[in-house]
Amino acid sequence: MSDEVLLSVRDLKKHFPIKKGLFSRVVGHVKAVDGVSFDLKRGEVLGLVGESGCGKTTTGRVILRLIEATSGQVFFEGRDVLALGKSELRAIRRKMQIVFQDPYSSLNPRLTVGSMIQEALTIHKLASGAKAKERVAELLTLVGLAPHHARRYPHEFSGGQRQRIGVARALAVDPTLIIADEPVSALDVSIQAQILNLLKDLKDRLGLTYVFVAHDLAVVEHISDRVAVMYLGRIVELAESRALYKSPRHPYTKALLSAIPVPEPARKTQRIVLTGDVPSPARPPSGCPFHPRCFMARPKCSTDVPVLREVMPGHWSACHFAEELAGA
Amino acid sequence: MAEANVLEVRNLQTHFVTDDGTLKAVDGVSFAVGPGETLGIVGESGCGKSVTSLSILRLIPSPPGRIVGGEILFKGTNLLKLSDPEMRKIRGNDISMIFQEPMTSLNPVYTCGDQIMEAVMLHQKVGRAEARTRAIEMLRLVGIPSPEQRVDEYPHQLSGGMRQRVMIAMALSCQPEVLIADEPTTALDVTIQAQILELLNRLQREMGMAILLITHDLGVVAETCDRVAVMYAGHVVEYAGVDDIFARPRMPYTVGLLGSIPKLGEEKERLRVIPGNVPNPSEFPAGCKFHPRCPVAIDRCKVENPPLVPIRPGHDVRCWRAGEAEAGTLDMGRAFEEVVS
Repeated sequence: MSDEVLLSVRDLKKHFPIKKGLFSRVVGHVKAVDGVSFDLKRGEVLGLVGESGCGKTTTGRVILRLIEATSGQVFFEGRDVLALGKSELRAIRRKMQIVFQDPYSSLNPRLTVGSMIQEALTIHKLASGAKAKERVAELLTLVGLAPHHARRYPHEFSGGQRQRIGVARALAVDPTLIIADEPVSALDVSIQAQILNLLKDLKDRLGLTYVFVAHDLAVVEHISDRVAVMYLGRIVELAESRALYKSPRHPYTKALLSAIPVPEPARKTQRIVLTGDVPSPARPPSGCPFHPRCFMARPKCSTDVPVLREVMPGHWSACHFAEELAGA
Repeated sequence: MAEANVLEVRNLQTHFVTDDGTLKAVDGVSFAVGPGETLGIVGESGCGKSVTSLSILRLIPSPPGRIVGGEILFKGTNLLKLSDPEMRKIRGNDISMIFQEPMTSLNPVYTCGDQIMEAVMLHQKVGRAEARTRAIEMLRLVGIPSPEQRVDEYPHQLSGGMRQRVMIAMALSCQPEVLIADEPTTALDVTIQAQILELLNRLQREMGMAILLITHDLGVVAETCDRVAVMYAGHVVEYAGVDDIFARPRMPYTVGLLGSIPKLGEEKERLRVIPGNVPNPSEFPAGCKFHPRCPVAIDRCKVENPPLVPIRPGHDVRCWRAGEAEAGTLDMGRAFEEVVS
């Protein structure tokens, strides 16, 4: 990992309008991403975790401009991605790729694996003809498949193999940054491990940088250098992966960690069972968005919005009482 | 213990006849569960765990599916011998089931209350008013706030966790003796999963029913089950108490599976990997079904399928080399570490 900041996200927001009635009057907004900021160094893996609806996937897509942001800035290698024109965007997209969650629906069933990967090469004018074929074979080998697989169609592969194809496709254009959106959650346990190891190997070999979006904290901890926990469109805690799991400084992270069933029957953990559901991002609670479910909420929490602050060097928390969790 | 089992499955075989030949989705599965006990059935996609649970309630669509052999004994009665009307009396009443996806398994055009009341009125021979009271009571029991109001709401008005609670309320409304829970928390977020597991646990203590928990999540198994049956390719490959399975697994598949899950707080460069892919039922290999992916397979494994035999009291394993692992002359875990992924 170098000290150079590759990706810098500043106060990123994405509000989806809720429209009603004949004239599609805007009656409110779903604040899917509501002020997210973080820096990512070259060669680093940042995990983005949270429960469904917390905005982790939207954050990933807004960074790539697959969805246009409402406001905020995204700097990639020093350039503001959100301000780029069409042709500049295409050029920069070569450096930023995505791997999708569902290997069943993210591959075109009518294209052979070879033509799918070659398409990316053609669009970015990287290779053609025999050279492109050579590159496809090289990529397939890189992700643990065989060159002859290029002639096959997606339905001929299992879930794990399809995810390998998805990775090969993302790698075709030689990217620097890969946003992996739940890349293993649709896979069987024994196959998950294969893909996680593959992603790790590729990172080391090709010097890649990842934003790893997932809901499974154990998976995220395994692969990430730093982890950002999201709740209702905001980052509530951001720290080095080890520090976050060893001593969480936000009650939500603490509850989330304790809720994970541990595959060791002898170890009975003290579980914090949160009451209630995640509130709708269309009507977030006042003050701290987590306060209605928080086990240590006080009057201040329902009125004052906590900001993400550095409670320890490199450890950020958006809780008024983060210090009380130290050593707890 | 044998006579105390509420549900006993013996040598169950469920096959599907397709154009590509007969698929032996479940091929000789046996297990038993006693009152107040939770048995976990663990496995990956296509291992036959869901087909097993559907077979117990005789919900396998036929054709193409058919239960070709075995016995399913509910308190000594073989369910496979019952007529359809007799089976309907048991289904939802003595044995009930909750499914993975609460949105698709609830009927969207009926209120939650109506759906619970239907089961109660059918099985318990009570009137509408009484059934409604019961439905409200059940909703309260599963922890739904203001049940008097929720009883008249439709499934789409509830969140995922609440819908799963309605499913549980429906399944438990007739106080079944066996509850089959097929991946009950897979579609839910972890904080909601914790709530649902806690709820099932509490209800089991209060009502004393037996639970058959079908899941792929070994964490859930460790926290909720008393005994575990690990399934692979239509067979039970290891069957033991939960502590035994996690501390002393003796079937290479179980060993590999346990090693391949990332654990919180564990520093590990690489995960242990089971090579290859989960086999499709149409292409189950000969011999031991796991041998193509097994790092300790020997020639015998390729031709002869090992039987499920006890290696210790209460711990059955289907592996030719389990004895060596038990004696300490074979380290299955290390064999997986040496696999190059």
